[in-house]
Formats: sequence, structure tokens, C-alpha cells
Amino acid sequence: MTSSPSCSVAFWEQAEAQLAETDLNVMLEHDTFYSQPEWDVYRMHYDTTNGHRLFAWLSVPKGEGPFPALIRMPDYASVHDIIYTHLRHRAVVMNATHRGQRNSDVIYRASYPGLLTDGVEAPHTYALLGAYADALRALDALAAQEIAQINAVALTGAGLGAALALAAAARRTHVAAVAADTPMALGHLSALQSGLAYPLGELGDYLRAYPERSEALAATLSPVNPLHIAPSVSAPVLLSAGRFDRSLCPLPFAEELATALPNCDFRLYDGAAEGGGHEHAIARGAWLAQRLGVNRN
Amino acid sequence: MATQADLVSFTTQVSCPDDFDPFWDGVLAELAAIPLDAVINHDPLRSTDSVNVYQATYRSLDELEIFAWYSVPTVGDGPFPAVLILPGYKSEPPLRRDWAGKGVAALSVAVRGKLPSSGKFNPGYPGLLTHGVEDRDAYSYRGVISDCTRGVDFLLSRPEIDPARIYCCGSSQGGGLTLITSALRSEIKAGVSGYPFLCCFPESMRMLRSYPYDELSCYARAYPDRAEQMLETLQYFDAVNFAPRIQCPMVVGIAMEDEVCPPETSYAAYRLLGGQRELWLFPNSGHGNAHEYPAREAAWLQQRIGATPA
Repeated sequence: MTSSPSCSVAFWEQAEAQLAETDLNVMLEHDTFYSQPEWDVYRMHYDTTNGHRLFAWLSVPKGEGPFPALIRMPDYASVHDIIYTHLRHRAVVMNATHRGQRNSDVIYRASYPGLLTDGVEAPHTYALLGAYADALRALDALAAQEIAQINAVALTGAGLGAALALAAAARRTHVAAVAADTPMALGHLSALQSGLAYPLGELGDYLRAYPERSEALAATLSPVNPLHIAPSVSAPVLLSAGRFDRSLCPLPFAEELATALPNCDFRLYDGAAEGGGHEHAIARGAWLAQRLGVNRN
Repeated sequence: MATQADLVSFTTQVSCPDDFDPFWDGVLAELAAIPLDAVINHDPLRSTDSVNVYQATYRSLDELEIFAWYSVPTVGDGPFPAVLILPGYKSEPPLRRDWAGKGVAALSVAVRGKLPSSGKFNPGYPGLLTHGVEDRDAYSYRGVISDCTRGVDFLLSRPEIDPARIYCCGSSQGGGLTLITSALRSEIKAGVSGYPFLCCFPESMRMLRSYPYDELSCYARAYPDRAEQMLETLQYFDAVNFAPRIQCPMVVGIAMEDEVCPPETSYAAYRLLGGQRELWLFPNSGHGNAHEYPAREAAWLQQRIGATPA
């Protein structure tokens, strides 16, 4: 059961309009403690909608740019990693948070579990929708910063981060590539019927407690349903999933998503929520390096 | 990639301070003087027909209130065996309702610094690993480890728990904490330590450039005059120094492609284990992502527990 994509248009138009009305106020602090001989680390701060100020880790290779850039969208967790990717030697890497995560939680502190159902009764109260505006904001902030010259941008993420990456790529068509691991099956209510594990299981618990709110839930999630977003993603997508995933990206959803994405390289592994694990980490690194024109080392 | 030969030939420079045992005896004595103040609140949204989920709190070192998810089977008379689940470095404590279907209670601890146990102590991630590392009595992990041992006290305080059947598991930091807690608390009857962190700090710093260990390297680079003191402090918190003190059966799971916790350092802890031991090697896996690990962990523990599925 999924809701019509028609209500998505209004959500995204409103989000874009609110973002356009909000100054970015990008600020970067050089972090001498975590900077390395080969790259500098910055603490990045910028504004998003509804008065939230967001945090991101930014690493910039030493040497002359311009550089390609990789944005790692946040997982469904309170902490988003400090920079850790083999590409950091050759590419600008930004680990962006969404409102409610650690360091972006002055106004609102999200709970995990909890965020998936916080205010899910209606779109205007659903806390998670703000994370999607924040994903767009990460791209805007990266473009606005003046520390590093950027010549190409790719997105990556896992679970919620993968769903955010797909949504951002659909709205910002200059994105060169998306590596999406086990995207969270938000809005795909048929996937929730049979006792999934957390985090998707949070929505299952909610429906069990409030079965009469099923349609409202579907309507709230519709704008961020990856199946609704997928046709608008023009960038090439490396999509990975685990055949036995019961918590993020169940197999039927993954297969449907792979079909809906116009330019998708789908890799299915004999794993669960970890997707392809180490094998796919190597494949993803090589794929991103190739798309961004950098050596993986 | 590490080979089995790499594991066997690896030796650590970590040594055990002469006052290691008195130090930890002192911490446990300090803890014992603090009232547990255990509280459980039923969480109806997350409970099901087969499991009651509670949001639990208890008091730990420095009077901090520690949060945990507590899941108890609804079927069966009890007392139930229990699994103490210890968390990774930056991840949330998992809500493990699956154990209830096996007739087992589960306590999943949010150690200090993690939401929602972070109200009075919040050094951040990164940050926790170096917080107070100049002084063994001020180091963050003195509290973190206390929060884990206090989880055992919480389980012992519950009338629905069989005190003779308490088990422990966790991965990454949770794997390191499983080793350490099992050494400090003989009530733990068996444990599974996956991809253990907190093993062989000096070598892990040298072998990797990934976080969290890289936090320590950053600290040593920023404060070279304090690096030696940092390493001295870390000896009191290194899982290889706890390993010989573990008397219960213990599994150590190692991913041979692990780029977060070097396989050699996990193996160093494994071979020092004082009790019955078992090694699981995952040749084509990285940190925390061996496909077969979760099922194997559950099966091994369930066999030890001897629980009859409800």
C-alpha cells in the first residue's frame, strides 16, 4: 500500500521555497586536532529551515583544487561519523547531519528509536521530513563554502542516509552519482506488515498500536517514499541490498526501487541490513572513485 | 587483509600495571556504595504479545543515571535467563526484542555519553575515547565500564531474572566491553565478543588511520608531551589485560578485513582468555558486517543458556 505521489509536489515546493528564504550563514572552523598531514578537517555550521543550525564534518585534501566532493548523508542514529573514507586523500568529503542529530540539536533532539514516528500523524508535524530539507541544504552549503573549489559532487549513504541521498539527487540534478546502500523503505507500508526489526519496525509498532492511522501514515510518508522519488533521479545510482534484510530495505522494496531508478546498477548480496558488507564497500569505493575521477588509495 | 599467520605472530607491547587489580577493586567498591535506584517504565508502543519492553534506568559511578532497554518475555513463569547487551562506540543501544521469543530477557545498555544517558556527561563522538585520558581516575572509560558492570547489578536486582543465568554480548566497542565486564563480574556465565575494540591500544593506533582509534593518534600528535601518560592510562582499560581474568566460556569473532579494530589485536585478547574459548574467523568480512555473525551469536548463546523457546 503506497499513497499517490501527487501530494509530494507540494511538499517539495514548500521545502524549496523555505530553503530559498533562509540565509545559509555558512561558517567553517579549522579543526587542528583532527586535521591530518594529508587533509584538513573543518567543523562546518549552516542554517536550514525553521531556525535549525546544522553541523557537518568537512575534510579538504592538501594541495591545489578544484576537487571532486562526496557528501555522506547521515544514518538513522544520533551520531554521524567524523570523516572516514579512503577518498579523503583525493576528494572533499562532507559528513552532513540533519536536525535533531548530535551537534544539530539545539532546538530539537531526536530519539533513536523515536524519530521515525515523532509527529507522523500529519506532514506538518512529522519531524523526519525536516531531514530531507537538511539533505538539500548540505548540497547548498557545500556549494557556498569558500575553502575548497568543487568540480563534481557525488552522494552516498546507508539506510536513512541512502534515502536522503536519492531524494537530494532528485532535486539537485548536478549530482554526478549516488551510491545508495539499503535505502530505508519509508512509505512502503506493505513492507511493515510482518514483524520487521527496528528501525523500520518502529513504523510497524505504530501501525499495530494505531491501525486506524494507516492512511494518514502513508500520506505523511508519501513525499519521501523512495519509489516516488526514484523516477526523478537522473544521476547514475549504485544500489545495494541484502537478500535477508528485515530492518531497512526488504528485498521486494529493493527490487522495485531498482526498477524505478532510470540509471541503476543494482547489487544484491546474501546479507541482511549490512547489505554487501565488506565486498560492497570495496565495490562502492571503486565505483565512486571512477565517477569522481579520482584514484582510490 | 590479515592472515592467520599474522594473527599468530602478532605480539603486543601492552603490559599489565602492578596495581591493575587494586585499581579495579577500588572502582567496584566505589560502585557498591552507590544505591542502584533501579526504575523500569513500561513502553506500551514497543511491547508486543510476546515481550514487555521497559525503559529502565539505574545509577552508576559519579551518580550518573544510565538508561537501558529492558525486554522481558510475557510467556513463561520465569525466572528468566538474561543477556546483557553492550553497545558500540557511536551506535545506539539496540532494542533486542528477539531474545524474548527464546524465553530470554535482554538488557541493552546506553552507557554514559550516549543518548539518553548523556545529560550530565557528554564528551561527544569523536571525543569520548580521549576524554580524561591523562588520568586513570578521570578517564571516560572508568565510567563507561562501570555502567556495564552496573547492568549486571540491575539484572541481579530483578525478581524475574535467574541470577545463575546471566550472559553477555556485544560487537566492536560492545565486544571490548563484553570482555572487560565478563572479567570484572563473575556472575556472567558466558559471552560473545564480536570484532572487539579496546584491544592493544598502542598497536591499533599504529596499524590504522580510522576512527575511533585515530582519536588517540590525533591526541598524541596534538599533545606529544602527554602521549606517554595517555598510554599508561590506557593499560588499565585495555581488554588484553582483562582477558586472563575471564573465567567463563567466551567467543571472540574476528573479521579478517577489519579496518576499524585490527584482527591481530582481537586475536591477542582471544589467546589470553582465562577460561574456555572459541574463535570465529570471518575471512571476507569487514568491521561488524560478517553476514553470518548475528545468527551465530544468537545460536551459540542460546545453546549455552539452554532456554526453551516460549
